[in-house]
Amino acid sequence: MTAPEKNAKTTPKPTRFLLFLGCAIPYRVSSYEISTRKVLQQLGIELVEMPEYNCCGLPIDPVNHSMTLTLAARNLCLAEQQGLSIIALCPGCAGTLRKVNKKLKENKELKEEINGYLKATGLEFKGTIEAKHVLQLLVEDVGLEKIKASVKTPLTRLKVSEHAGCHVTRPADSVDFENPEDPQALKDLVEATGAEYVEYVDKLACCGAPIAGVNDRIPLQLTKEKLTHIRNAGAHAMVTVCPFCHMMFDTNQPRIERLFNETLRIPVLHYPQLLGLAMGFSPEELALKALRVDATQIVSRISGKEDAS
Amino acid sequence: MSKTQSNPRERPSETAKKGLRAKSGEETAEISATAPIRAQEFDPHFKHEVSKTHGGEKLKQCFQCGTCTSDCPIARFSDSYRPRTLIRMTLLGLKDRVLTSETLWLCAACFTCTDRCPQDVEVASVIRILRNTAVEKGYMPQIFKELGSSILETGVAYRIPDLRLKKRAQIGLPPLPKGNPEAMTKLAKATGFSKLLKRGEQA
Amino acid sequence: MTEEKPRIGVFVCHCGLNIAGVIDVKDLTDYARSLPDVFFAKDNRYTCADPGQDEIRKAIKENKLNRVVVAACSPRMHEPTFRKTCAEADLNPFFFEMANIREFSSWCHPSTPEEATEKAKEIVRMAVAKARLLQPLKEIEVPVTNKALVIGGGIAGINSALDLAEMGFKVYLLEKTESIGGHMAQLDKTFPTLDCSICIEGPKMVDVGRHSNIEIISYADLISVSGYVGNFKVKIKKKPRYIIADNCTGCGECRDVCPIEYPNEWDVNMGVRKAISVPFEQAVPLVYSINLDHCIECYKCVDSCGARQAINFDQEPEEIELDVGAIIVATGFDIYMPYDDPLYGYGKYDNVITALEFERLILAAGPTGGKVIRASDGKKPHSVAFIQCVGSRNLKKYEYCSGFCCMYALKNAILLKEKYKEDVEVYVLYMDMRTPFKGYEEFYRRARDLGVTFIRGRASHIIEDSQTKNLNIRAEDMTLGQPIELPAEMVVLCTAAVPKTDAGDLARILSISRDANGFFMESHPKLKPIDTPVDGIFVAGACQAPKDIPYSVSQGSGAAARAATILSKDKWKIEPIVAEVTPELCRNTRVKCGICADRCPYGSIEAIENQPAKVVTAMCHGCGTCVAECPADAIIQKHFTDEQIFAQIEEALKKNPEGKILGLLCNWCCYAGADLAGTSRFEYPPLIRPIRVMCSGRVDRDFVLEAFRRGAGMVMIGACHLPYDCHYISGNLRMKARMDALAPMLEKLGLSPHRFRVEYVSAAEGLKYAELMKEMAEKLDELGPEKIKAENAKLKPILDRMLAKKRPQKAQSSK
Repeated sequence: MTAPEKNAKTTPKPTRFLLFLGCAIPYRVSSYEISTRKVLQQLGIELVEMPEYNCCGLPIDPVNHSMTLTLAARNLCLAEQQGLSIIALCPGCAGTLRKVNKKLKENKELKEEINGYLKATGLEFKGTIEAKHVLQLLVEDVGLEKIKASVKTPLTRLKVSEHAGCHVTRPADSVDFENPEDPQALKDLVEATGAEYVEYVDKLACCGAPIAGVNDRIPLQLTKEKLTHIRNAGAHAMVTVCPFCHMMFDTNQPRIERLFNETLRIPVLHYPQLLGLAMGFSPEELALKALRVDATQIVSRISGKEDAS
Repeated sequence: MSKTQSNPRERPSETAKKGLRAKSGEETAEISATAPIRAQEFDPHFKHEVSKTHGGEKLKQCFQCGTCTSDCPIARFSDSYRPRTLIRMTLLGLKDRVLTSETLWLCAACFTCTDRCPQDVEVASVIRILRNTAVEKGYMPQIFKELGSSILETGVAYRIPDLRLKKRAQIGLPPLPKGNPEAMTKLAKATGFSKLLKRGEQA
Repeated sequence: MTEEKPRIGVFVCHCGLNIAGVIDVKDLTDYARSLPDVFFAKDNRYTCADPGQDEIRKAIKENKLNRVVVAACSPRMHEPTFRKTCAEADLNPFFFEMANIREFSSWCHPSTPEEATEKAKEIVRMAVAKARLLQPLKEIEVPVTNKALVIGGGIAGINSALDLAEMGFKVYLLEKTESIGGHMAQLDKTFPTLDCSICIEGPKMVDVGRHSNIEIISYADLISVSGYVGNFKVKIKKKPRYIIADNCTGCGECRDVCPIEYPNEWDVNMGVRKAISVPFEQAVPLVYSINLDHCIECYKCVDSCGARQAINFDQEPEEIELDVGAIIVATGFDIYMPYDDPLYGYGKYDNVITALEFERLILAAGPTGGKVIRASDGKKPHSVAFIQCVGSRNLKKYEYCSGFCCMYALKNAILLKEKYKEDVEVYVLYMDMRTPFKGYEEFYRRARDLGVTFIRGRASHIIEDSQTKNLNIRAEDMTLGQPIELPAEMVVLCTAAVPKTDAGDLARILSISRDANGFFMESHPKLKPIDTPVDGIFVAGACQAPKDIPYSVSQGSGAAARAATILSKDKWKIEPIVAEVTPELCRNTRVKCGICADRCPYGSIEAIENQPAKVVTAMCHGCGTCVAECPADAIIQKHFTDEQIFAQIEEALKKNPEGKILGLLCNWCCYAGADLAGTSRFEYPPLIRPIRVMCSGRVDRDFVLEAFRRGAGMVMIGACHLPYDCHYISGNLRMKARMDALAPMLEKLGLSPHRFRVEYVSAAEGLKYAELMKEMAEKLDELGPEKIKAENAKLKPILDRMLAKKRPQKAQSSK
């Protein structure tokens, strides 16, 4: 056996990660944070709080790309000081951190430029750690087998759709996770809970959230169309893994119903909430109440209290 | 969740429009996307400038197939936003027209266009370059000024109210990591970000 | 070999005033006469004219000259002329050397006649130095086997075989599948005439089958090819059909009784065939086969065959060996099956099919009897959309244009319209409609006239309605500038034509190369489009790049004609400027080396373990790459030996070396570009001393080192443009790799970076060459002789050591 092969077999997967919360989650989507912490702890992943961090940089990319790169790089530098890789719950943060990490590792000139900016704060990007989205952590580091094994109540009576969010996989070259045109991770994770996975038309389309500050109508229309397809496909619920997508599908759902005169009533769970339910956590522990669209119906469906007709 | 809470992402588009104006008298006013193209509009060098910027390297490979527009989630619901047209205007050198175009700000940066382009043009990155250039010229929607100043002052894009911080403690979540405004200011100065932001505020 | 003392004659040409108008010809002639070993020197007005040539012939005889140097124009112009002149005076033509003082001096330095004369003197001195070391060479002849092998029985191969057979040559036509015919036999109609495809190809197939000079070897694979032009040894393995071909009459009674059906691959798996059957009715040879994967061995076929006794379940694969003089590769293409593209849903959506499947649907003899119906419900679609460039023109899949898809989409659209009239709406989604050949644009108009709707825009993505199985195509209608959703009941994907999956294996067996896309590479994209780099092996049809039928047919005939240039001779002559291994020096006897074999662009060197490497002379093209690569200096390139080039370098740098540029120019591009600079009268500073090599791949690191050791101001290697301009496939790439390693080493030793350069100049870039010379002269001036001398002094002891092994014999050869 050659040395690298040996290493690959004997090195255990890391279980300690720095948690990168970003801006939107502490601002309005705590339920995502709460449920993720619960579920990951149960799966043996230790989340270490970052002593300090700043915005990943993505929101101001339209203004100044250099500043975006620098903000992302600063977070990576802070993580390098801790010697731990980053887990981000928001795909925007994860994607930006991954992209910048990759680009700076590959492009010496760019690295020098950004390190030039960082110098003023006494930091230097070295490229010693990784950054990942929680979805990638679940399929790559925890593994589907372990997740399946953790399920106490398989959600067999539940039909579930999903919207993973673009930045989990796009742009493919720099995010470097899975094929964005045929993603499997979230599908596999939904099925791991025992739920029936529901496909729908235009599953890969964006929810429109990023332009919500510039134009309101288009994101709402986009989200409405997706929700309609999900409803028509017969899903009882859907899951997201992004705070912004969640705001579009959940927080804005009543507004969409009013605006377009549609009845949707589709509970939108953060994926960790769905997994948490299957693991046996209570709806309270998973902050299910914080959802705008009432999810009690699906809780009763899972527990078999409601007739599943 | 309080409805009166100011969420910058839910601001009506009027604010956006208000912000999108250059310093008076310095730049030409916005040119309608459908207006006839006049000889003086061309800046053939523009495409070279853009393709020298990080992310714009493949711009000139575009053969105008329309895949970006076809698969753009925004274009499917917008009467005006067409990523291919932005690329086309850039290639033709219609610099002022593209930089003052309001539709420039409608890209959701979902990167579907980038991933599907058969000629490997990083469409979304080209649009980012165009936006960065527009900002340098003084065009910037209001929302980015708010996000930008929040980052400078708190380290994060949204100012998290004290109430929410207290609630975190109540439900047993660990306190949020600290921000570092001092470092933010230094970085913003080094990258030129603070200058851009100031220019936007004056406008 | 002649070891007699050199007696050199130098003939200086006035070329009217072309040379004499600038250069002091008398002075130059006197100078030539003063050079060692020069026994005769004379000037004349036009050396290439008859009186001039007479003078050379006379001087050879009268003065017993055994080397001739003509100082005149470019050797690319008159070297063949004067070689012939020498031969006519019974002097071996390779005892001739040319000094290019017109293109390289008088024409490009008209305003500095003294410097031009000085340069001319040095050019002559370099030529004399080389002439002194010239060796006589003899043209090599090999015998020719007057038979041909054609690989691939599609329409290109069929035409090659028929043409060669008609010329009287024996042809073996090797076909991988059970029948010849290729893709053309699968098609319904052909554009732009709408002839029925099999109706026009069928008779040709029959002709092949009947021709007394053609032997079809079908259902067989190529195993190996050895040998060289005129003398190839080919091994073929015939797969068992479980039928004795000689006994099979093709009556089909066995098929009628066979109870087993399986999907017919030839029908793109849309129809079925029996376990004992032929793939299609018109198959040639009409010999049945049994598919043992499906056969249940009920032996009903054996009974029905009866006394003919054509069935043999014990048949084994059979290996045969053939001797042929030329090989034509006509293996065709595959169709890209877009299973890996989730955006079009092929393989997932019932009513999304490929164009080849559509051909089988609309063909009257096809599995549906010519009815175009949907797989989902068996109903006729009321709207059909053709999507162009599926996989083609896509950097993520196949970068190139597949060439014929626009035309077959038009054809299929027209067929649908003619068949179903207004009952079917036909759409073509395209990026560019490409209809460049005879009758093609008219065909496009005909489609429009019939009401086919053309939408300019690339279909980005297809969505299926799960209930109706109808399809929604997303695209941008470019002419409107709007995204559209186009509903269609059937979608036909016009997918890329791609290299055969086994093209790589075949390339290895034949030692031919493939291009970046995987198609077989032609020897020269313009002037040798049918030749491969291996003499005696030719390509025809879509195995070289996607081609339509007329183009494939023309190429098939073209390849036959090219092959006949060899087959029609009893002996084949080979240029004597080849490489030769000195066995005693070769390292391969001691260590596993084989570098030469690995780097040879033609695979013409054999390096068997523990044996000295051997150049197969008949396959060598004389680029000299192996000579430069050999770590033991064990290979010689005839007429361009290390010794000769070292002598030229020495002479070039005898005087004022730090003020000079030593140029090593490849014959085909940079040397020709330099000629053009002269012909165009672009004036540049007279600092370069050019040495001609056949290929930049010949440029040994030692040449560069020797030039700097002798104090050169600059060294320039002039090569063909990367990656494909090289006339020896990859000599320039080899040179680049070598020099990429050398340059940093020289810099580390203190050489200013601009002093050593590799430049790429094409034969058309005379201006670029002249500009380059100006720029280099400026740099040289900037550096100044003192700095150069200082750098060289520092380098010299190191270079002395590095070149020590080469030094002694080279030093002796000069005076």
